[in-house]
This record gives sequence, structure tokens and C-alpha cells, in this order.
Amino acid sequence: MKKTLLTGTAMLCLAAPAMADELNIYAWSDSIAPELIEKFEAETGATVNTDGFNSNEDALTKLQAGASGYDIVTPSQHFVKIMIDEGLLEDIGAAELDAYAAVDDRWKGQWWDPENAYSIPMAYGTAGFAVNRDLYDGPVDSWAAYFEPTEALQGKIASLSYPDEVVGAAQLYLGVEFCTEDKAEMKKVYDLLMAQKPYVAAYSSDNIENRLGSGEVAAHFWWDGNTLRTRNGGANVEYAMPKEGLVGWLDSFVVPKGAGNVDLAKQFIEFMSTEENATIQYNYYAHSAPVKIDEAAAKYTPENAPELFPDVPVEFSRACSPAAQDLVTKVWTDLLQ
Amino acid sequence: MRALTSFRLWGLAPAWVLMGLTLIVPVAIVAGVSLADRGPYGGFDWALNFGSYREILFTLGWTDELEFAPKYLVIIARTLGYGLVTTAICMALALPVAYVIANARAGWKPFLVYLVTLPFWVSMIVRVYAWLIILGNEGLAEKAWKFLGGGDVDTFLFTNGAMLTGMVYSYIPLMVLPVYAAIEKLDPALLEASHDLYGNRWVTLRRVILPLTWPGLSAGAILVFVPAIGTVLEPMLLGGGRQMMMGTLIQTQFGGGRNWPFGAAIAMVLMAMVVVVLLLNARRAAAATEART
Repeated sequence: MKKTLLTGTAMLCLAAPAMADELNIYAWSDSIAPELIEKFEAETGATVNTDGFNSNEDALTKLQAGASGYDIVTPSQHFVKIMIDEGLLEDIGAAELDAYAAVDDRWKGQWWDPENAYSIPMAYGTAGFAVNRDLYDGPVDSWAAYFEPTEALQGKIASLSYPDEVVGAAQLYLGVEFCTEDKAEMKKVYDLLMAQKPYVAAYSSDNIENRLGSGEVAAHFWWDGNTLRTRNGGANVEYAMPKEGLVGWLDSFVVPKGAGNVDLAKQFIEFMSTEENATIQYNYYAHSAPVKIDEAAAKYTPENAPELFPDVPVEFSRACSPAAQDLVTKVWTDLLQ
Repeated sequence: MRALTSFRLWGLAPAWVLMGLTLIVPVAIVAGVSLADRGPYGGFDWALNFGSYREILFTLGWTDELEFAPKYLVIIARTLGYGLVTTAICMALALPVAYVIANARAGWKPFLVYLVTLPFWVSMIVRVYAWLIILGNEGLAEKAWKFLGGGDVDTFLFTNGAMLTGMVYSYIPLMVLPVYAAIEKLDPALLEASHDLYGNRWVTLRRVILPLTWPGLSAGAILVFVPAIGTVLEPMLLGGGRQMMMGTLIQTQFGGGRNWPFGAAIAMVLMAMVVVVLLLNARRAAAATEART
């Protein structure tokens, strides 16, 4: 009996690699169309597991902790750069993939992956703020409405629980350069956020859709596509177009170093980047597609989705030096101490 | 004798290995990281650097001077304060609940105990989200408040009260169960004796029930206090995350702050506080045993 058990265990161990046709994806929460996951599973016979994250920092920390077990991660541009510099990503020869040919030229050879060796863009968009129009009918053409709220919004504002894009937006409003190492400049950012704090109801990156949609708060720091989806869901929300500009982001598929199934990961990236599937993904995710899509089948146009076609400047987040990052953290811990 | 010694050594070896791998090694790693040099983008390099501990008290100010900054001490004190308040509320609520269960009819007892443990079958996050709905706009709490004649409220969410409600709710079963066990053992004859000796209800509670159930209460207090000071979810989701607690501070340092050694140092401080509480309790328990014999 004991022997059978032992043999059984040994066989299980041996069998494990054989059923390794599993793809573990770590992506922004709800960012990949479930329909496509099912289709991919049906086409390849592989099992796909998806985990969600709500901030780039979470994704980076998990990869740095080692042996994350993920085959695909979808960080934003500045974190792609950090992950490459830190040696956390697998060189997948992205420029050789068919997916690369589908990528819009303006996203090729960018500073975060100049050789196009590690990443294939997946979606891009902006970070700004949205208001609930049932509760607030004032202007939203400037960050002033958000950072220096009038009485209508006081106590009805929510921010994110981490500094990354919030500090960037404050910098746009104040005309402070991204990633500055100048303490006096960052003190201005701190003073602005500190003056805003009494009017902020919550600093939370979770559950934004409910908080804003249900009217728990009247203005929330948020992303373009999420606002669009919530608006299409029936909530009376509007994405602001502040004249000072929006914070840009571009998420890419990357493969962590030591991933268990690099080939399947590449296969998935190719799969997601075909014109047909990219269109399905675009229609689901409601963020702009950096690869070629079928315009005729695309659900969102400048007419019905102004969120995705900003008419104000867009400034992309950068990978800050440690000194600059320390200032960002200092602003945040001093703010929430 | 020798057989016994060798059994103690080898028979308990699996327990020692398990303790070592799951308790001692991880703590040693955190201790090591707290002394390491920080990596530029998170991560760390092994070193012997006490800078992270110094940073808890002294930080570079906005004017580039090294100044004594109590901000982290404030966070630590706040965390301890909310931990204590949560524990006190749990105690006050758990005692009558446990008393009712202990005095219920025999057939009901297992069912009532089961009810107390029921929330543990559901994920913590889901339970906290449930409170978002209860306390949120037009939620149950607001309706009840208006029904009882309360005035207009914007929302109950994003307040310290909401956070404490969530914390008490999350941890109270850990208080009810040990207190129930203690009351269960309480001999009703002692209560009758107290009444026979003209002790009124208050005196009976203070001089008979409380001393005899104290072991259960103090065990519950530790079970509640320790997770309460490490809490992350309730302050973020219900409290609105406007003020950091130690849990959120540690999370920030490992995440956005990209300063693992400092996060580890704060974690060590948190752990040291837990150890102090446990040691104090152990000493008191030992003293109590001694006094009895």
C-alpha cells in the first residue's frame, strides 16, 4: 500500500511537466477580453490563468521577489524600462514577431525598449480625472477643478492610493517637470496635494467604478477607457480634458525572465495582435489599440468615445532616477502620514 | 531515560524543521533585508546598514536638512491606538455574546458557535466589500439611520468609524471563541454563591465573572490585537486611506516607494511590538500561576 502511494506520488511529480501547457498571465484587472482567453484555450488546448494587478508597482514588486510563476505581464512604459534595466525580462526578439509588424510606427523604437527586443504594445491611453455629472455641473477644462476644488466638489473627491500618476498630474498642473530632482519644485507639488487633502474623501485605487458611478464621490482620479466603459454602462460620468494635459501610458506584453512557457507566451502575444482579435480586445477593453485593428468593426469612434481621442496635450510617464523617485515617495508619505 | 531524550530530539524534529522554515527563517530574512542597501528600483543588496532604522526617526526635510521627523512614530502610535480600541470594543461586545451562547440550551450551542465562525468561510476581502455596500450611499446603515430619525448624512464611508466597524467585525470571532470557552467552564454555583452573599449583578460581574474568564479574555485580546495592528484592507477600503497605518506604510515602501530595507525595518518594529505584547502576557500568566500555587 505504502509502495503504491509512493509510486503514485512519483508519477504525479513526473507527470507535472507534461501538463505544463499552462499560460499564467498577470495583467491589469479585467484588462483582457474573456472571449479571447476562451478562444485561445480552444485553439491551443492550453489552460490560461489570469491574475489581476491594480498598480505597476505591484507588478514590479512581484517580479523582483523572484519566481513569480507568470509567463506574461503587462506593465506600462516606464515600468517596462525599469524591468529591462533590472534584468527581469526575457528577450523575446519582439521585432521578429508578426505582432511587431502590426504595431503602429509611432510606438516602435521608443525609449523604453529601443531595440524592440522585450515588449509588444497592448493598449494605450491617458490618466486624468472623471466627474459624476449628476452631482457636479461645473467646468472640467483644467486640473484646477480637481486639485483646487470649489465648494461643489469639496469632500467629494477621491484620489488613487499610490503616487505614480497623481503626482504626474499635479506636475502638469504646476508646470513642474516629470521626474525632477529639484526639491523646491517637488515641495510645490506637496503643497498643492496637502492643500487638496482636506477635500479628498478617499485615497483608493480599488473599486473606482462603484465609488464614482454610485455617487459616493463626485470626482475621481481615473483612466480614459474605464470612464468610457462606465459611461456606456449607464452612469452619467464625464472624463475631463484639462488644458494642462493628461498623463499618458502605454501597456505592453512582456515575458518575465525564467518564465515557464516562453513559446506559449509568444504565441499568445501573436494571437492578441492579429487584426481580428485586437479589434475584439479593443471593443472589450475600451482603451486605444497600438496595433492595427479593423476600423469597420471597431466599436469606439471619436464621436461616441471622446475619452479615447483627447484634444489636449498628453505627456507620457517616465522612469525616474532613484533620487527623483525618493522625492515622489516623500511627497506621498508626508501627505498621508 | 535515554530513549525519552532521543524521542524528544528526533520525535519532535519535524516540528522544529517546520517552525524553522515557516517562522524563523522568514523573520531572519526580513531582519536581513532591513539592514541591506536599497536597490535603485526596489530590491536590495545585502549589507550591514542601520540607515533604515535611523530613517524611522530622522529624515531629510524639504530644506535638505536631516531633521527629527515624528511622522513614522505618529503612524506607529496611531496603529497601536486603533489596535487597542478595536480590542476593547471586541471585548465589550464579545463578553455578552459568549455569555448568551454558553447559557443557551445544549442543542443550540453548537449551532451558535457555528454561526460565529461562519464569516471565516468567506474571503476577508469579500467581507470588507460587504461593508462598503452596507455603509455606502443609500446603504443599509443610511436607511436604518434615517428610519431611526437621524438627519441627512453624506456617507458613512471613509471615516475612522467605518474603519473601526470593519476591524471589529473582522476580528470579533477571535474574541468570542476563547471567551466562550472560559465562560463555559464557569461554575454557575459560584454565581449563586455570590448572590447568596449579597453580591449584586455588578459586583458578581466584576469580582466573579471577570476574574474567572480573564484567561479567555486575554487570549482573545492577543488574537484580536495582533492582526489588528497589521491590518491593511479596512483602513484602505473603509477608512479611505487618508491616514497611513503601519500595514499600508509597509506596503507603500515595498511598492511605490521602492525602498524594501525601510519597509522591512518598519515590519521589524511591528514585529517587535507584537513580541513585547506576547512577552508581557506570558509573564503575567506565569505570575498568576505562581500566585495560585
